[in-house]
Amino acid sequence: MADRAFVDRYARDELNRFDTDFLVEMGQAFRHVGELPHTAFLTRWAQRQHVGGGSAYVILIPTLRCDLKCSYCQVSRAPVAAKGFDWDDETLAQVLTFLDALPVDEIQIEFQGGEPLLRLDHLKTVTEFARRRFQRVRFVVCTNLQTLDADILAFLANEDVLISTSLDGPHQLHTRNRTGTAELTQAFHRNLAQALDLIGPSRVSALPTIDMECPPKPEDLIAAYEDFGFTSLYLRPVNYQGFARKSHPSARTSQSWTAYYRNFVYTLISHNARTGRTMEEFYLAHCLRRILAPGADSHTDLRNPNIPTGTNAVIDFDGQIYPSDEARMLARIRQVDLSVGDVANGLDHEKLALIAPSHINNFDPDCIHCPYQPFCGTDPIDDLSRNGRIDIPRHESWFCQRHLAVFDLAVELLYSEDPAVDFSLCHWLGLETLPDALRPAIS
Amino acid sequence: MIPLRLRSECSRSLAPFVVRISYGAGNGENEASLSHEEPGLLDYQAKPGDFRVRGVTHEDITGDVLLIDPQRQIAHRLIRAASPHNTFLITEQCDQLCLMCSQPPKTHHEDMFAHFLTAAQLAPSAAQIGLSGGEPLLHKEALFGFIDAVAAKRSDLSFHILTNGQHFEISDLPWLRKHRSRLLWGVPIYSNVPAVHDEIVRKPGAFAQLSDNLSLLGLAGAALELRTVVMKQNATGLLRLADFISRHLPFAATWAIMQMERIGYGRMNWSRCFFDSSEDFTELGAAIDLMRARRQSVTLYNFPLCTVPTAFREHAAQSISDWKQKYLKDCEPCSMRSRCAGFFEWYREEDGFMGIHPQ
Repeated sequence: MADRAFVDRYARDELNRFDTDFLVEMGQAFRHVGELPHTAFLTRWAQRQHVGGGSAYVILIPTLRCDLKCSYCQVSRAPVAAKGFDWDDETLAQVLTFLDALPVDEIQIEFQGGEPLLRLDHLKTVTEFARRRFQRVRFVVCTNLQTLDADILAFLANEDVLISTSLDGPHQLHTRNRTGTAELTQAFHRNLAQALDLIGPSRVSALPTIDMECPPKPEDLIAAYEDFGFTSLYLRPVNYQGFARKSHPSARTSQSWTAYYRNFVYTLISHNARTGRTMEEFYLAHCLRRILAPGADSHTDLRNPNIPTGTNAVIDFDGQIYPSDEARMLARIRQVDLSVGDVANGLDHEKLALIAPSHINNFDPDCIHCPYQPFCGTDPIDDLSRNGRIDIPRHESWFCQRHLAVFDLAVELLYSEDPAVDFSLCHWLGLETLPDALRPAIS
Repeated sequence: MIPLRLRSECSRSLAPFVVRISYGAGNGENEASLSHEEPGLLDYQAKPGDFRVRGVTHEDITGDVLLIDPQRQIAHRLIRAASPHNTFLITEQCDQLCLMCSQPPKTHHEDMFAHFLTAAQLAPSAAQIGLSGGEPLLHKEALFGFIDAVAAKRSDLSFHILTNGQHFEISDLPWLRKHRSRLLWGVPIYSNVPAVHDEIVRKPGAFAQLSDNLSLLGLAGAALELRTVVMKQNATGLLRLADFISRHLPFAATWAIMQMERIGYGRMNWSRCFFDSSEDFTELGAAIDLMRARRQSVTLYNFPLCTVPTAFREHAAQSISDWKQKYLKDCEPCSMRSRCAGFFEWYREEDGFMGIHPQ
């Protein structure tokens, strides 16, 4: 980190000897091609561009039907009794053919919906196939956990199956956003407790979707998660997609979100320091990890480059293939068809090539001036959704505003030296102490 | 201690030769088959010559590759089939005189590459063989030729080469790239402060040369294991060294922080150099934390588990080669023993770690 005086010297090309020494020492400058700081920079740059290969991450939508009707539903789900919103036998067979042809031995398959557990039969077919086909497999079932029966529990008991669910916080708020009735919320709480009891907290995750028109108090949200024994939560703003764009116009801008998010994180940090517990906000912790090192690419939405291919695809209920879950939502509301093929005819490589360049931030005329560029990513689909185009100035886009705020906050925390902050950061990063070398500064 | 040299008898008129102790009735060019056996005595027949070995059983050495030295009446166990710790001593010459050196240099050099080539061809499938010294790259041309020859005949083998990193040149790049998948380079770096590093290796200018050559290894995409013996001389600089490594050596596959071995110069300089990390792990812990935050691999070699705070034990490796490893009497009831590196054969309790606590 540098102060204003350094930035001025840098901008005027008037760096002094101490400045240059500092930059060379920090690996930000070099004196000769081929010397160690130069080779090191090449390596670190290449490590940043390399997003691990050899593993696929595929989202499957066996049905679009759902037994809930959440106000912010981003996919415009279909009613539970509706016809024509599930994979038929032919589509199922084609999905398996598509998976079989992926050039990888390792895969994570996420079942989304709708409510995927409405088609447990399809889930069983896919998991049984994938376990035979791939050397390493992991399944994530994104479920509302409204219904658990013996068959579902038996399926969830498999070691390679994880659960991701939604817990919006206090009872009333969860009811308001998701279930509509206290009885249904109680049923969800019972089922969540049962799932945690059955397969343990390491294989169950939950996230709250935050509606800025009625956000939970941070303390209440933290308490709701601690009640179930969670040590991580991921604050997700209402997605400006699907139903949400009609009923939640405030989701289009970021100001209120950023203020809420900052306040939440600071509340969490004080809470941790006071109680000695170590709850993390996943996204902030993840962004911190991305600042400190290359290779923190586990979260598929924040990678750079993030070029769409068949190995990170979404397959919809009708067999259409999309580059991301958000792209499928845009198609669903008929804003723009971003499908990149279908399971009957395979991938549309022309279309993949067309959308590829917008999925890298290295050459964006705004991003190249941003200190957070190496850690950040892009989301042209979200840009399209909100702005109808992908070339608006970055700082006007929701993605950029949200991430500038997250990275500003992450750096602020990293440099704070407040013991309460360091306590949480150490736990989030898996460290015993936070070495000062992680926060170099020049003035 | 597992013996690496066996008493042997054979005709003194024979030239030295390399054979593998055959599982059955081996009849290959370099196979030795058991012809006679009585307690403490084994007779073998082989094409290069018949010989006798004492003090081991046939089962102990089956599959082993031996260098029979008729002059000295010794059989060197070049490769022990049952062990992952096999090292060829390329030379005892060295251009550095490191304070803690466990194998102090000698001036005389005996070229053994022909024997090593035969031995490598007889090695178990997919074995990794250590190449050590002295400084192996003082005989770079012969060493590179040896590796070329092995690679041509046994592409399944790989080498772990310990070198002080002083002898690479830009013209080595194509060769380094060609063999990158089969070579792991273990290179010592003691400090990011040139004067401190140079003083420890007792060679002025060593750090500057090392820095340029590590850059070459990076450009070659070579597999690099950085090695730092922790001593009184560099212990307080480990965190700064960690920062240097994460910024300037991001291509290093791992960083091994090592405890001293009390032999050679290491014994001579023990009291001057030994840093008792069982009493103060603060700087080591901070260095490990920095590497964790930067997601770069770090390993502790030769640290008994009980001397490492719990939070860092996952980094401790069972690094001491089987033939020179031991446990203390105190270790007998310890529940972590089977995962612990233990101690070097020549470790002494009276001037060693003060904080040994069986768990």
